[in-house]
Amino acid sequence: MAPVELVQKAGLGEIRERVRFMSLVVVLGVFLLAGRIFWIQIVDNERWLTIAENNVLRRVDLPSTRGMIRDVRGRVIAANRPAYNVYVIPGYFPLERFTRFADFLGLNRDERDRLEARMRNAEGSRRYQHMLARSDIDRESLALIETHRAEFPRGISVIATPVRNYPFGELAAHALGFLNEVNADDLTEFAGRDYRAGERMGRSGVEQAWESILRGRRGWVRQEQSVGGLLITRDSIAGLTPDRRRDPVPGRDLVLTLDMELMRAIDRVFRGKPSGAAAVVEVRTGRVLALYSKPSIDPNTMVMGISALVNREIDENPYRPRIDKTIYESYYPGSTFKPFTALAGLEAGLIDERSQVTCTGRHMLGLGRGRRVFRCKHVHGVVSLHRALVESCNVYFYTLAEAISLDRIASMAFDFGLGRRSGIGINQETPGFIPTRAWYAQNYPGQFRTGHTLNTAIGQGNVRVTVLQLAMAYAALANGGTLFVPQLVSRVEGPDGTVIQTFPPTVRHQVHVDPAHLAMITSALAGVISDPHGTAHAAQVAEVDVAGKTGTAQVSRIVRDPTDPRRGWSTQRDHAWFAGFAPAASPEIAVVLLVEHGGSGGHEAAPLMTQIVREYFTRIRPGAPIPSVTTWRAHQPRR
Amino acid sequence: MARTIQHRLRDEFDWPLFLVVCIIATLGVVNLYSATSAQTGARAELYIQQIYWLALGGGVAVIVAAVDYKVYERYAYGAYVGSIAALVLVFLVGKSIRGTHRWIQIGSFLFQPSEFVKLCLMLAVARYVHRDQRSGAWSLRDLIAPGALIALPLGLIMAQPDLGTALIVGLVAVSTLSLVRISWRSFGIIAGGGLVGGTLLWLYGMKQYQKERLTSFMNEQVDVQGTGWQAHQSMVAIGSGRWWGQGFMQSTQNQHHFLPDTHTDFPFPVWAQEQGFAGVAVVLVLYLFLIIWGLRIASLAKDRFGAAVAVGVSALFFWHVVFNVGMVTRSLPVVGVTLPFFSYGGSSVLAILIGVGLLMNVSMRRRAL
Repeated sequence: MAPVELVQKAGLGEIRERVRFMSLVVVLGVFLLAGRIFWIQIVDNERWLTIAENNVLRRVDLPSTRGMIRDVRGRVIAANRPAYNVYVIPGYFPLERFTRFADFLGLNRDERDRLEARMRNAEGSRRYQHMLARSDIDRESLALIETHRAEFPRGISVIATPVRNYPFGELAAHALGFLNEVNADDLTEFAGRDYRAGERMGRSGVEQAWESILRGRRGWVRQEQSVGGLLITRDSIAGLTPDRRRDPVPGRDLVLTLDMELMRAIDRVFRGKPSGAAAVVEVRTGRVLALYSKPSIDPNTMVMGISALVNREIDENPYRPRIDKTIYESYYPGSTFKPFTALAGLEAGLIDERSQVTCTGRHMLGLGRGRRVFRCKHVHGVVSLHRALVESCNVYFYTLAEAISLDRIASMAFDFGLGRRSGIGINQETPGFIPTRAWYAQNYPGQFRTGHTLNTAIGQGNVRVTVLQLAMAYAALANGGTLFVPQLVSRVEGPDGTVIQTFPPTVRHQVHVDPAHLAMITSALAGVISDPHGTAHAAQVAEVDVAGKTGTAQVSRIVRDPTDPRRGWSTQRDHAWFAGFAPAASPEIAVVLLVEHGGSGGHEAAPLMTQIVREYFTRIRPGAPIPSVTTWRAHQPRR
Repeated sequence: MARTIQHRLRDEFDWPLFLVVCIIATLGVVNLYSATSAQTGARAELYIQQIYWLALGGGVAVIVAAVDYKVYERYAYGAYVGSIAALVLVFLVGKSIRGTHRWIQIGSFLFQPSEFVKLCLMLAVARYVHRDQRSGAWSLRDLIAPGALIALPLGLIMAQPDLGTALIVGLVAVSTLSLVRISWRSFGIIAGGGLVGGTLLWLYGMKQYQKERLTSFMNEQVDVQGTGWQAHQSMVAIGSGRWWGQGFMQSTQNQHHFLPDTHTDFPFPVWAQEQGFAGVAVVLVLYLFLIIWGLRIASLAKDRFGAAVAVGVSALFFWHVVFNVGMVTRSLPVVGVTLPFFSYGGSSVLAILIGVGLLMNVSMRRRAL
């Protein structure tokens, strides 16, 4: 062996030692790697598995179809129509044809520029995602787009989404309500109800109150997607999750008690009156056939969102289109309250059929310096209860009021549901107000005077009622004293028409009064129209006998700020009431209507009432149900 | 002479080395098939290319193993000079891809000289170690020559720039050099100098994005859409593999293109998601066996050159595995180091198999004739 090799061999022992040390390092290194992987794969795998699933499975919502709302005849009053939304995919869109495309959509200068800028600025994966160009395009635009589809290969897509549609527009809009998009606050407030941004929810009326029934339940499908978010059809995720699809549950349909034919008839008779309200209820069931508030807002405009300008116009309208005048606003009932005062007197035994009062056109209360004068409209002479109601003599009721206690009147009014929420279950109902001694004692200690009772007796002072309350109360007068809960929804149906739930009439309260006393009142109410001296005799119609009471409610004469354009409208004319029922002999419906600032109830309100009643009994009621309109329904559930 | 070779091939053939390489290479091809199955066109056919390269490399390895390694010792510096020339050539006639100069195009094949630099430099260092006549520990001055030997190709590769390869080249050379005894004083000075130099580089020499790239792996909350995307998706793939994996060809992370570069830097997460921890353990044990076997060959080598070569090749495997697996498990920065036999690459496969041939060579000649 050469000497050099000997030297080289000599170092080998040391080298072997080094190599052993290296082996140790290697084993340690590989074990560290294995440990790290063990941690990721076995100990901490839950989070990574979730991310892996979410990476490739995108939950695509399957919207449910909101239930339809029909009227008592089955006519559709709220349904869903397709809105065609046009989307562009910037990455595929030929920008040189943008102007042509914008013409098709009918975009204005401003909208064009904004859309083009958005398309140009789209970066990365956003270039291949849908970008909304215009929502709810009209049929003409749709036709243009479809015809010229080939010019924009893969660059545009038209997607139909269901939008709430109200075929009757403004009619019954307050009772029906409307939808609009949920906002951030709603998402927090109703966190448990699984709303999504962009979804619409009921904002008022039936749409709001019956939201949970109408809405249905959203479904979803977990679709595979690639890294850019593009959906792919290949199924390679068998190992991940079996839970791939939940079918949407369509919302249920509601059948209301409203009769839209009657609503139309009411709308016709209200022509020329800018503002007012009416309620029609079935006397023997409490079912609400009509709830009419004028002016109104077309809910179709609310669904798509209204502009600030239109919004301001609505706000500044002196007739307050937003207010539901049937249940949200209360008024002095005026003389329409007198039957309840009279019943209180009869039940208390203070008056009877023969009791008479001499009306000199005014009534003195008190003596000396504290004396107050209460006026009547006419000099009625000697009047009985019957005449006092037929001719609406205030003096008779002033005289009665001096003898009766305020609480007796209040108690009778409460019995008939006045001053209490009727329980119709939609919107924010106002309870109205019936003053009592206790209330005066609490709020105006020591200030109560008999004069307050006098004002209450004729439905002025502090008495406030709603149109619907009065309708329910007159229905109770007409049916022998049964006060019903006003019913707006008669049944819930499945999307295939099967009846899921039917709601029977609900009795709220049975008024215990002497039937003879009730008969005295109802016969007097019939006289209001049939008697030649009756305050509403001029409104009499040949086809059907109507009973009822006129009323004129003083408008509170608050001096309004003339510089405020919104509040400066103050009309000084009184509101005209008519409350009654028909047919007089065997009542079927109770009708209450109010013409805001109409003036005299006899002249302004009563003719409207009798026309409505005539329409109802001659044309509407006997008519066969009108077949429902077939309505488009999005996303039939797949079985 | 012919008789002795035949004799050696029969009696001294290192079967364990041969078998473990065959198994790893087979698993690598199988995994490559799955990893590229989500691709279309030429990429989907890469596993076939890989088989061709393995066959060619196998042939080369046989030749490499047949020639006595004394020949390599003799020509080690020549090979070194040749590889340096190739590195320079990359800048002159090389093909620029994504702003880097790593390849020389020969026909349709892109030749990557830096892969072979790993071996040539290792051979040169081994020769330097082998020829050392000193009896005591090396001082700093003694380290100047081998230091320069290493620094030259390292600088050229970093200029390409190819940080990952430079790292491996450097680590392999240093591992080989670590066979010599270095005085504690020298070691202390080198370590201290490295520490100070690194700190200065970090504070003044590096741009913010470079720092971010190096540190993002340590940050859990890193921007997964940006710098941390690759490592994050790799973790997702590994983590969702659990014990037994999702099955061959079932890596959702790969099939849906969440994993980048599955044929080069990220084949391992595909394996981990499809085969689970069980499969991971098998592969790691195979690599461990290969490396330890290589070190065993080193300790049994009949001379210092053989030992140094065997250590160098083992180090090559070790550092590749450590950095690649460390990178995909977010334990180390993403520096672009391939996984031997799992990553696709003609130059890389050839270089690795030449390395295996060298190991076989040393192993077969451990006993003097």
